[in-house]
Amino acid sequence: MPVYALEIIVVALGILMLMLDAFAKLEDKRSIAWLGMLGLIVVFGLLFRVEMPDAEAAKASFWNFYSPTGGLSLYFKGIAVLTTIIVLIMAADHSPVIVSNTANPEPGAHPQAGLGEFFALPLFACAGLMWMASANNLVSIFVSLELVTITFYVLVAYMRRNVGSLEAGVKYLILGALSTGFLVYGFAWLFGITGSMDLGEIKTALADSSVNPTAALFAFALILVAMAFKVGAAPFHMWVPDVYQGAPTPITAFLSVGSKAAGFVVFIRLSGMFLSSEFLVGKVSMILGVIAVLTLLIGNLVAIPQKNFKRLLAYSSIAHAGFLIMALACSPKVSKAGESLSPTNVIAFYLGAYLLMTLLAFLVMTTVRRRVSGEDFDAYKGLAKRSPFLAFALLISMASLAGIPLTAGFFGKLFVFTLAVQDSQWVLLTVGLIGAAAGFYYYLKIVASMYLEKAEGSETVANYAISIPARIAMIILIVAIIAAGVMPNLIFGLL
Amino acid sequence: METAITLNHYLYVSGVLFAIGLAGVLVRRNLIVIFMCLELMLSAASLTLVAFSRYHAAEGGPDYDGHVFLFFIITVAAAEVAVGLAIIVALFRSRETTDVTEIDSMKF
Repeated sequence: MPVYALEIIVVALGILMLMLDAFAKLEDKRSIAWLGMLGLIVVFGLLFRVEMPDAEAAKASFWNFYSPTGGLSLYFKGIAVLTTIIVLIMAADHSPVIVSNTANPEPGAHPQAGLGEFFALPLFACAGLMWMASANNLVSIFVSLELVTITFYVLVAYMRRNVGSLEAGVKYLILGALSTGFLVYGFAWLFGITGSMDLGEIKTALADSSVNPTAALFAFALILVAMAFKVGAAPFHMWVPDVYQGAPTPITAFLSVGSKAAGFVVFIRLSGMFLSSEFLVGKVSMILGVIAVLTLLIGNLVAIPQKNFKRLLAYSSIAHAGFLIMALACSPKVSKAGESLSPTNVIAFYLGAYLLMTLLAFLVMTTVRRRVSGEDFDAYKGLAKRSPFLAFALLISMASLAGIPLTAGFFGKLFVFTLAVQDSQWVLLTVGLIGAAAGFYYYLKIVASMYLEKAEGSETVANYAISIPARIAMIILIVAIIAAGVMPNLIFGLL
Repeated sequence: METAITLNHYLYVSGVLFAIGLAGVLVRRNLIVIFMCLELMLSAASLTLVAFSRYHAAEGGPDYDGHVFLFFIITVAAAEVAVGLAIIVALFRSRETTDVTEIDSMKF
């Protein structure tokens, strides 16, 4: 089976779910989510069975905008599918909140009217994310990126009776469209300079000294602005906290993992073209270094005084983007020296670890949200007494986000710092260490409040109903975090 | 006096268009106007593409890659407008405003 069949299956599944929502008389619309989840599990299994056509044949065919080669693109497709599966679990758990915020006042309407699309849209975003992992042409990068972004506009603003969700939607819309403008203008210049839309040909053309360096750097700057928006890097991170806080929680999880991973795939590809050009590499890696420093400082330091858990995770996602860009900025010399630890591999590992721990945190958050309204820290006080399992899951997730040894997050940070040492980027390394230290404080603050503080006036023993799929997903994620933290080669083996 | 219109003229015009759009996004306060300015930025990019395409003569004719990209941009922009206006209308229903300075319920 060819690789691109996977995207076709995902889109077809999404359309099937929409049709079921519209025409089947379903008592409980959550069954649509279960269908999507099962379908995606099948797609995830198929990922290991696809055949890779050779590069020459792929170039000549109709699918030449789509690069099937490389285990890395399969790895990122896996990330997209896995994220979507867990997002669907969370969405099903979160459905009472969605329904109450999209309530249809018409008499006789289905009590869950409008819920079906909430489960179907993530499938289309997933197809876009998977396609993005394989895009090797400016046009196909643009179209897949927009498929994801436009779907996210709808999903972020989905709770249309909730002012926060709508505001988040509008902010995401305006800033997302702004970054699209920058991206397209940058692509236009890149096309103008090199005369090609194919990433491989652009790479060769940029390495040629006949290219005008000013124009090339101008194109790079435009593309960098757009990519910094997409991955939430400073100074273009302003949308992240507001959008994360306002969006429905499952969508926040999707944004922070799926869209970040896909953004980085494109970011690696696009900046790789500039970094492989000898007379651009100095300036480009310097600019990336500056962005990394800013992102690390802003993400980590502004996270310290946060009171809302979702907002904290937003700043944490900015901080992690900082570590990832730090790895990207270390690229040039290291990859030439032929080290085994290439920046691309490190970024892939880090994103895999980030997926596990962030999704775990969001799963806990969705479950707690069913009992307590709001996501302030107060809701987590004394959680260990009320639900030891949830508290333990959150403990593992926070420990991994902070980078404590024996968790996946530790190796992610370790590899990034190793890259910085190999490349002698001492400024970056110092800032990274400061960021990691700040991370210890704000992640473990939540753990301390869960285990040491008492909840104010609420129930002492509570039955936090954890749905079965959510419980299975949490256990798998906990095991995966610890397994990858003990044997990091497990993830490298997938690359 | 005769002067031919060169690639640079197109690039200047599209650069100015892009700058006008960007300035509009940053300065204006009405959401609808901001959205129009965003479309202006996309048009600027499209003009750049077509200009480059025209001057990249490949095998006698213009390089059609840029033209094809342009059609994708138009399509995507249309989808974006459809979704965007729907979100803005929904916001207007609940807040009765399209002024961005009044959309501030979430703060640091």
